[in-house]
Amino acid sequence: MKTKDIVLIALFTALIIALGLVPPIPMPLVPVPLTLQTFGVMLAGLILGPARAGLVLLLYVTIALLGLPVLPGGRAGLAVLAGPTAGFLLGMIPGAVVTGWLATFFSRTEPFKADSSSLHATKTNQTPVWQIAHYALAAVVGGLVLVYAIGIPWLVFVTKMDFAKACWAMVVFVPGDLLKALVAAVVAQRIRRLNMV
Amino acid sequence: MIGSLYLPGNTWLHRSPAGLKLAVLAVGSTALMWVHSPSVLLVACVLVCLSVRWAGASVQHVWQQLRPLVWLLFVLGGLSVWSHGVLQALEMVLRLLTLVLAALVVSMTTPLTKMMQVVVWLLWPFQRLGWVDADKVALGVGLTLRLVPEPGVQWQDLREAQLARGLTPSPLTMGVPMLLRTLRRADEIAEAIDARG
Repeated sequence: MKTKDIVLIALFTALIIALGLVPPIPMPLVPVPLTLQTFGVMLAGLILGPARAGLVLLLYVTIALLGLPVLPGGRAGLAVLAGPTAGFLLGMIPGAVVTGWLATFFSRTEPFKADSSSLHATKTNQTPVWQIAHYALAAVVGGLVLVYAIGIPWLVFVTKMDFAKACWAMVVFVPGDLLKALVAAVVAQRIRRLNMV
Repeated sequence: MIGSLYLPGNTWLHRSPAGLKLAVLAVGSTALMWVHSPSVLLVACVLVCLSVRWAGASVQHVWQQLRPLVWLLFVLGGLSVWSHGVLQALEMVLRLLTLVLAALVVSMTTPLTKMMQVVVWLLWPFQRLGWVDADKVALGVGLTLRLVPEPGVQWQDLREAQLARGLTPSPLTMGVPMLLRTLRRADEIAEAIDARG
């Protein structure tokens, strides 16, 4: 792992923290606020690829658990793990990895490499629209489906809420998350294209 | 801009080793998940409240951390009174409160450097296997904390630049230049770190 990889990981972690400081919007019915953090998760996955994106989220969660108020609403500490939303936090780690893995898999491109020699190495024959669609799909599967798949059962386990009820309550978040995935896909596609020229 | 939860002090809670506190917290929290009698939970809760006092925390400090959780407890408590009955609701609220306060005590009495030492110690077996480099992890954490204000500054810069050109900033027009700057910044920082060795 090169110095630049570590710096990139640190910068993206800082980005996710900054996105979390944007005031969260409390949602009706469920104790889970709407935040921009999953946007950061998707971006990290799409741009950095699975390994480094996973490390970004791992670092983020570690910093939060160490007691620095980096979670939305300034929460922090090990207390978060006991809370009802911990599943969504922990789910972001595999979420970023899967997003990154799917993005690389779909587009058959290498994630942004630290050494400049690979800048010209990969050239895809996909049209931008297809690439965006692939990225968006990767972001939805990793950043939405997987995060929910871990977050909802956790919510149910901690609060003893009805499973079906919890699922329905989460539907409020789906439009926002789909929008986030789309924006992340467009941004990531442009970044990747610029780096390939 | 980031203050840790740590409260300086010299109580016996501050003096006991960080690893021990974290271990007690982990075991205690897990054990509490299987306790279902409200009276036992009440005793645990009172004990934890007492330890908050011993840690020398002011009421305001604790309240600041708990405030986001209080409305959540009300909502959850209300929901489970309605679906499971008063006793179950009491049990859940007491358990959550105890877990959160216990974790808060550990976070308040353990400085960040001590926490990092525990993390590095936990990483030791992985380091022996050659999977991780604890020094690089420490570098990553340090860098991240230093870089947290970075995205905010960039955002402000870009917004002003776009407003000056008569553009209305939107997530798409901001996202791409933001990330390009982030990637370029990573180059600069990595170079600086390498140059210093």
